[in-house]
Amino acid sequence: MIHTDVIVIGGGPAGLAAAITAKRAGAQTLLIEREARLGGILKQCIHDGFGLVRFGEKLSGPEYAERFIHEFHEENIEALTLTFVTKIKKTDDGFVLSAVNRSGVAHLSAKALVLATGCRERTSKQVFIHGTRPSGVFTAGTAQHLINLLGQMPTKKCVILGSGDIGLIMARRITLEGGKVEGVYEAKPTPSGLTRNIYQCLHDYGIPLHLSKTVTKVFGADRLTAVEVCSVDKKMQPIEGTNEIIECDALILSVGLIPENELAESLGIQIDPRTKGPVCDEVLMTSADGVFSCGNALHVNDLVDYVSESGECAGKAAAGFARKERMELSLSVGENVQYLVPQRLNLNAEDLKTVLYFRSREVFGKCSFVMTVDGVEVFRKRYSVLRPPEMERVEYDFGPLGLTAESLVSFEIEEA
Amino acid sequence: MSKFQNICKKIAELSPNIRVSEARGCIVLQGEVGNWETAVKAGQLAVDKKRYLGVINDISLKGFVQNQRLPTEQDKSLDDERPDVLIIGGGITGCAIARDMSKYKLNTVLVEKGPDVASGASRANGGVIHVGINFSKHSQKHYYNIRGNRMYAGLSQTLDVPFEQKGQFLLCCKGWERLVVELLRLHGRSMGIPGVRWLDREELLKHEPCAPDYVVGGMYMPIGGITSPMEMTVALVENAVKNGVRIFLNTAVSGMETENGHIVSVDTNRGRLYPRLVVNAAGVYADKIAEMAGDRTFTIHPRRGTDIITDKKAGYMVKTSMEKSPFSILPYQKAQVTSGPFGSAKAILAALHSNTKGIGLIHSIHGNMLFGPNAVETPDREDTSTYRDEVDQIIEIQCHVATDLKASDVIAYFTGVRAPTYEEDFVVRKGVFTDNILEAAGIQSPGVTAAPAVAADISKWAVEYLAEKMTVEKNDSFDPVRHAPPRLAQMSDEDRDALICKNPDYGTIVCRCEEVSKGEILDALNSPVCVPTLDGIKRRLRPGMGRCQGGFCAPLVAQIIAEHQGTSLSSVKKNSAESIVTYGETKGAAQ
Repeated sequence: MIHTDVIVIGGGPAGLAAAITAKRAGAQTLLIEREARLGGILKQCIHDGFGLVRFGEKLSGPEYAERFIHEFHEENIEALTLTFVTKIKKTDDGFVLSAVNRSGVAHLSAKALVLATGCRERTSKQVFIHGTRPSGVFTAGTAQHLINLLGQMPTKKCVILGSGDIGLIMARRITLEGGKVEGVYEAKPTPSGLTRNIYQCLHDYGIPLHLSKTVTKVFGADRLTAVEVCSVDKKMQPIEGTNEIIECDALILSVGLIPENELAESLGIQIDPRTKGPVCDEVLMTSADGVFSCGNALHVNDLVDYVSESGECAGKAAAGFARKERMELSLSVGENVQYLVPQRLNLNAEDLKTVLYFRSREVFGKCSFVMTVDGVEVFRKRYSVLRPPEMERVEYDFGPLGLTAESLVSFEIEEA
Repeated sequence: MSKFQNICKKIAELSPNIRVSEARGCIVLQGEVGNWETAVKAGQLAVDKKRYLGVINDISLKGFVQNQRLPTEQDKSLDDERPDVLIIGGGITGCAIARDMSKYKLNTVLVEKGPDVASGASRANGGVIHVGINFSKHSQKHYYNIRGNRMYAGLSQTLDVPFEQKGQFLLCCKGWERLVVELLRLHGRSMGIPGVRWLDREELLKHEPCAPDYVVGGMYMPIGGITSPMEMTVALVENAVKNGVRIFLNTAVSGMETENGHIVSVDTNRGRLYPRLVVNAAGVYADKIAEMAGDRTFTIHPRRGTDIITDKKAGYMVKTSMEKSPFSILPYQKAQVTSGPFGSAKAILAALHSNTKGIGLIHSIHGNMLFGPNAVETPDREDTSTYRDEVDQIIEIQCHVATDLKASDVIAYFTGVRAPTYEEDFVVRKGVFTDNILEAAGIQSPGVTAAPAVAADISKWAVEYLAEKMTVEKNDSFDPVRHAPPRLAQMSDEDRDALICKNPDYGTIVCRCEEVSKGEILDALNSPVCVPTLDGIKRRLRPGMGRCQGGFCAPLVAQIIAEHQGTSLSSVKKNSAESIVTYGETKGAAQ
């Protein structure tokens, strides 16, 4: 059995950052990746726009990943690729993993774990699309895999459901490859993707965006031949009589991402129903001592720069992990906040300088992000606009507040 | 008034456009109607099992044309073949018959219209091995179900197919239902169904810890079980092929030549065959095949049933299979019950007569929760679509039985088209008007349970018939045993390690949700009935059946198939030859 200090599961941007940081903090570190190459989903994201926050330049996904992979190798960190973790067992002084690869089943032990397992896409069935079962229904990520990694064209003429960023990126990508995108349909009254992507991927290419409309049905016995679109009411339910048939050969779905936390769940880790990721403290430790979470497994990020940042936070903490008495305080959020990460603080921590990530529940014009302790306002940040697709980041040091386990720390978005 | 006149009168009241006549011992309905309900109702009114062989309902629906999916392949690979037995239909029944035929030294050919075995109702069902307490004692359904049920454990072991016999439950919410259960127990005993008994809530909870609060107890039927109908069908056909049967997928029967009640030849898209004996196991098209053979005494009226599958994480909500008793009126149903002394009685009667019975919850053999099906009459024999209102309704109903159920637990739903006759019974018999046909028709639920028993009778009759024309010898080299390819996710780390050392491909995980390795996919591609499509692999091994529904693994599986078959990625199909996945290479491919 291999023994190490920290095992990072997942070799995407979060896992790479976590492993590099853990190693630099002096921990013996091992990274496990299920695919053949490091880089995670960035490998197939050949568009630009990555790294603006972190490097001040517009990189493609592979370029962004390459910078970290380079550092990763410079640090001489061991990586097991094409290796799949099947089981994690808690032991007295850490964890034992069963990992499958082409050499067999290996058992690996570590004092601390970083789960950087990313996310998966919601499927057509999860948004209750009905009709036949033809080929030609793809999630945007699958279409991206086919086009960018395998050089295969999955459509000549398609409809895209969902205005999430990957859907927008794929609308442009398919157009550039000579395919026709009949339109992007979004059930919500506002777009789900970043504003810059609405302009750069749709407007610039003359691709129409239809809001408050959704796809309800697909047609075609073999390959998809058409989709039915419908206007939806405020509860996102299709309105009868508004249906329209659009002939196309594919339906591409960008209808949301779900953090992948099956391994975390197998350890009984508490999951936040709002983020679908583990409930974490200020150093991103989950409810299981010694298990840290980062990246899109923690919550779905809009920018990879923040994914790396959370990886670094988790990696550093995992390297310095030592079992100590904890004093936990949950942070509560008001109705206008969709979610807040981290969800709690360990008041016994020496340092309570914390990076907070949050999203608003809906679009708010002039508003403030306000923090109160026992009803008294202690922090306020003003925004000219807050949009759910755009994640916000706030740094705050809780140390000087002198919080106790009984304090009520609350966050809310107040409209001006 | 004679019985015939009585039927005529009732049907005339239903619609003036239907002509009723008697022919060859059957009651025949003809005409055109404006809605399908009328056509079905007429068929039901015409049933008189005592006086007629069956209902031939040829009423057409105005404006409806059956869009039949036919294979595009055209060749002569079966031309001039003279098999001893030609089995039409590669569902679980046809495949079970094929395997039983392989116990004899006979030239047996099975043709299946679809691109895979179990392409119809055999695949699209819950996999319940039924108890059959609700069948009539004199029905073929009961006769074959109880025999099939007894055969399943042994057959599953021989063929290395998963099978669990944890029983089945009918949940009751009123104390007085105990009396009904007692009556059913006695009824069951007289039908040869052992072990039926009442369990109080406390005892029931040991089997079904998530039974809802309002359940006071239930009927326990220990012989109920669960199989994987797809795996069973594949195992049956693989074993049949190993023992000498030839199977032709994408092969549809288009016509027959008959002479004096005898099938001379059968036309397919792969040429004309001259079989000695034909077995009709054609599912929703069984009446069409019987018609071609001149042996039709029944009508298939397609009935759509949709089932819903949840993530395995929700699998804990049911441990066996359970349904609400039809007598129980749940709190949510009270609003629909008319007030007055007979309100409840009426609701109960309506529930009893409804084809949906109580939709049930099933713990699938793979650990998901599966629930459904509903039952909707449809003129379309191939309408496997799902419909929003129906799926919503099934979920709505089941929320009251699986009380933790959330819409986000659902990962997939599918529809199967069942093949009932108007008599609502199987038609397993020798030819009535044609000497060289055997019918295995009208097979709806409990077809999966009944298949081995139906096959036993059909193969016995086939041998009896052929023995008069030729010498039929036992196949001495018949090997009943089939070993399923290894499933590594279910193994201990030690066994898994040992296998990977022998074949490293078992160590490359392709499907993360269901933990399927490249080696297992290659095994399926090298299996006796190889179906090198995304669906073929998915149905055998489940990559794409998990929570990501193939989002991650489909491109990887396609690559493995292309590599194995020595073809380009774009020639890998989802299912049928026309179900293109990609249109070729980028840069110009989309022009």
